[in-house]
Amino acid sequence: MYRAGYYILLFAVAALLQIFFFNSLSLWSCFAPMVYMAFVLMLPLNAPSIAVLLSGLAMGVVMDFTMGTAGLNTIATLAVAYMRRPVLNLVLGAEVVRDGGIPSVQRMGSRPFWQYLIIMEVLHGVLFFGFEAFTTSYLWYQFLRLTVSTLASILFVWLLMLLFTPKHSSR
Amino acid sequence: MYRLLEFIRRSYVTLLFVVFEVIAIGIYARSTYYTQATLLARANALTGGLAGAITDVGGYFSLARENRALTAHVAELEQRLAYYGGLVDTTAVIDIAELQYEFMPARVVSSTINRTHNFITLNKGLRDGVMSDMAVLSPSGEAVGYILDCSERYSVAISVLNTSFRTGCKIKGDGYSGSLEWDGGSTYEVTMRELSKYAKIEIGAEVVTTGVSHYFPSDMLIGWVESYELDESKTYYNAKVRLAADFSNLHNVVLVKYIDRSEVVELERSAKSKVY
Repeated sequence: MYRAGYYILLFAVAALLQIFFFNSLSLWSCFAPMVYMAFVLMLPLNAPSIAVLLSGLAMGVVMDFTMGTAGLNTIATLAVAYMRRPVLNLVLGAEVVRDGGIPSVQRMGSRPFWQYLIIMEVLHGVLFFGFEAFTTSYLWYQFLRLTVSTLASILFVWLLMLLFTPKHSSR
Repeated sequence: MYRLLEFIRRSYVTLLFVVFEVIAIGIYARSTYYTQATLLARANALTGGLAGAITDVGGYFSLARENRALTAHVAELEQRLAYYGGLVDTTAVIDIAELQYEFMPARVVSSTINRTHNFITLNKGLRDGVMSDMAVLSPSGEAVGYILDCSERYSVAISVLNTSFRTGCKIKGDGYSGSLEWDGGSTYEVTMRELSKYAKIEIGAEVVTTGVSHYFPSDMLIGWVESYELDESKTYYNAKVRLAADFSNLHNVVLVKYIDRSEVVELERSAKSKVY
């Protein structure tokens, strides 16, 4: 029950932050952080794959509705949700993943955590910006956009993960 | 049969992923900028109130700058009024302008500049008399976009900074028109395409709306020519235009309704059907 309440709160905070703050940030055209991914990335390490996939679907649909992107967020978020387990197995080992816990530096160790966060965010960024810019020119500009936004996403998602990682639950 | 069931049991997550992904890609591939604006208009029925409140807080900090811009704009209008006051047939000029267009202020609830399809959500909707195809201008009268879809209390405009945006444009004081579009690159720059090689183009020349598209009144400032070159066939100019409106700091806009639009569009449609 505690877990369910915690993840409902995380879902709400990540979605609201994205909708009401990060979507309206008009600082620079290349700066488009996607912090809502924190919800999918922070699901328990041993969460069933189907639960992760459906969570990603729910978040993607909510983002598509509020951002008017008609499927774009769902495409990227579903792929991240599906690839999460294989990536975790790769950077952490299947046994450690089966033991569970909330993904964090304390639980996973610094190097595997950053590998996990970067791989997931890059995958999301490549799909999101790749599909969005499908028909546009300025390839170098789109690459700059992908790089800046993915770096910003990594930073903000990490901050959100720090904020939402209970200090007592290293597992 | 057993093997099939066993296969599904083992790979149902992958199968579901593929099904969801194919559906999402299908929906996205079929979506247009109009679909996206419609989605945003529906979403704003839920989120518009809070988004508006947040924007109000942000807008508070730029009040001083907006006041300065508005004062400058009022001064310019006063100057124009004084000019028209000196003309003999003033009533005719003013009457035509008043008959053709209605103006309505609106507040920006949310807007983006960091996407390839950028939209602007406004706090006026159907109940305020907003309708599709109304022009959206900055408080200083620069072209910003036009309305695509409305809900009862909100409306969504396609921004000039949207790769699907197109409108007619010309060099101020010149008769030749080109097409304005954004390539998805810099948010300070758009492209004017297919401007006749006979047009009087020069660096720094003002680029304005033509009024032919029925979205914008004619001669609304878009920006200034930054660079230009003849295309490969040497028949048209393509020019880079520095935008006049600051999209990263847009809090208030003016909506413009072309009163005769539906009548003109209907007449044009009727004439086309008779020709073809």
